[in-house]
Amino acid sequence: MRQNKAVIGSAVGFIGVMIIILLIAKPSALIFGIQRAGLYAAIALPMALVLGIVHIVNLAHGEMMMIAAYLTYSICVAFGLDPLVAMVPTAVIMFFVGMLLFRFTIRYALKAPELNQLILTFGLAMVLSQGINLLATSQPRKLSVDYVTSSATIGNVSFGTYDFIFLAVAVIFLTGLMLFLKKTRLGKAAMAVGQNPVGAQFVGINVISTYTIIFAIASAMLGIMGAFFITKMSIFPTVGGAYTMKSFCLVAMAGIGNLPMVLLSSLVLGISESAVQSIPGGTGWSPLVFFGLIIAVILFRSYAKTAGVK
Amino acid sequence: MKKTLNRTFLIIGVLLLAAPLFMGPYAQSVARSVLMYLMLAISWNMLVSSGQLSFGIAGFFGLGGYASTLAIVYLGMPPILSLVFAFILVGAAAWLLGLVALRLRGMYFAISTLALAEIFRVIIHNWHGFTGGPNGKLLPKLIFDGASVPTYLLMAVLAAGTIAFSMWFRRSKFHFAVTSIRDNEIAAMSTGINIYKTLLMVFAVTSAVQGLVGASFANMYGFVTPESSFNMNYTLLPLAMTLLGGLYTTWGPVLGAVLLGIVGEYLKLYIPYGHLIVYGIIIVLVILFMPNGIVGLSGKLLNGFEARKKGEVQL
Repeated sequence: MRQNKAVIGSAVGFIGVMIIILLIAKPSALIFGIQRAGLYAAIALPMALVLGIVHIVNLAHGEMMMIAAYLTYSICVAFGLDPLVAMVPTAVIMFFVGMLLFRFTIRYALKAPELNQLILTFGLAMVLSQGINLLATSQPRKLSVDYVTSSATIGNVSFGTYDFIFLAVAVIFLTGLMLFLKKTRLGKAAMAVGQNPVGAQFVGINVISTYTIIFAIASAMLGIMGAFFITKMSIFPTVGGAYTMKSFCLVAMAGIGNLPMVLLSSLVLGISESAVQSIPGGTGWSPLVFFGLIIAVILFRSYAKTAGVK
Repeated sequence: MKKTLNRTFLIIGVLLLAAPLFMGPYAQSVARSVLMYLMLAISWNMLVSSGQLSFGIAGFFGLGGYASTLAIVYLGMPPILSLVFAFILVGAAAWLLGLVALRLRGMYFAISTLALAEIFRVIIHNWHGFTGGPNGKLLPKLIFDGASVPTYLLMAVLAAGTIAFSMWFRRSKFHFAVTSIRDNEIAAMSTGINIYKTLLMVFAVTSAVQGLVGASFANMYGFVTPESSFNMNYTLLPLAMTLLGGLYTTWGPVLGAVLLGIVGEYLKLYIPYGHLIVYGIIIVLVILFMPNGIVGLSGKLLNGFEARKKGEVQL
């Protein structure tokens, strides 16, 4: 617990210092960083849910979002819908895609060694991204929607306002999930299964179907995110890979099973990434900062853990 | 029984290695790429035998390619020497990175290796002055001036060396140490194995082999670019090959690489985009239905025959 407080403290401190520096040096980078953070958090939250309850690292996480984005794209092209309307069928379809994926593949690896689970989901990620490559080629695709270009100006800083929608989605996801896990019967059951599957089974909870529903809910959330993703970004078959790693990094930083901390860790990542990008010539290097952060965070977490065991 | 099995595989292997020499340049180039993946698969399998899952094959592969190319371009090293240089450099790099990364286990280690591969790519992509940035670097000339037979022989020697190393490894005390680490770290520690040191050694050596393969690839094709040298294929294919052939054996990766390498050549012709999906499907199916691969399956069948011969009924 004390360690957790230290983590929260250092995260808040880091964000505070960065905000002050950026406010003075480059306010637009700060706004951009916060919007980024929203995007990252919204994508990472489903992974946090799956990791916290099903205890599976889904290396196909980003690829599932990519699939959802392609799904939205094709629905929009086929029926001439707005992506934010096409979100509804996408989410429903993704719910069932997740359910099927879990039922027919991941379920059988639940009892297998962790190594097998990782290889399995890595294989799934490859199947998904190469499947899209086969069906839709690697040509980037984009939907042009007019409302995403809206902007606002404060003082002499102008910025896009639409991107704040990612932050809003992240907050809605988080509150929705917290309410679901704390208040509903199914959510409470899921919490119990996440804490102790054997014990949960003893008190009469169907563990496998709880896992399935949680995985399907996470997939539906990715479906929603995929629809938001395509309104702003262009998509191609390998677009998801980076988000898998980013999401894992954020969840590891937040601590597995700690959903609200995901929002905070996204702020750290988003702001520091956009800070590096705002340095002239730093754009190409910004992924490096992110990967450095991944490794630093993972190391810190694991050292803290082994120290705690002793 | 195991001995005869090994010996048969050995004879078949030598014949297969020699065969492309009489089959013209196309067969030799296919065989070269099969041997390349074979070495990657064997080295990955050796690390996995210790229970550490690495997704960083492409990273060390690309690093080796760049090490060799840059050594030739800037230092004027002869190609063969540059291969040795790449082997040593990548081994040293892996050892240093392993000092940190091998404190991690399971998913944390796996994701860190994935991130490491990406870090190498980003550094090389952005270091324009030294590495040529996104355009990569060209070699002044190919190894053996691009002659097909000596190049193939070189790859055959390297592959035979890797296989021999893997066989020696399976008989050495390292193998027992590594297997016990995979099975139970606490038990391994209490029998006096220095887990950290053993893993570090295995990680450095297997990564060095991957670097060597990358270096010979660069010398065969005469160029390196960040996108081609750090391509995800070099992680995906060896994984699929090892799994299909059989994890934790020497002959599994060999068998898998030969099978999938030849099949892959045809797939590339018929499905130019997205043929990699086949490897993904193989990974998923093998993990779900045949976790011991072909070698494990055939071993089980052979044991069944043995038992029946001895009159023991076994189901």
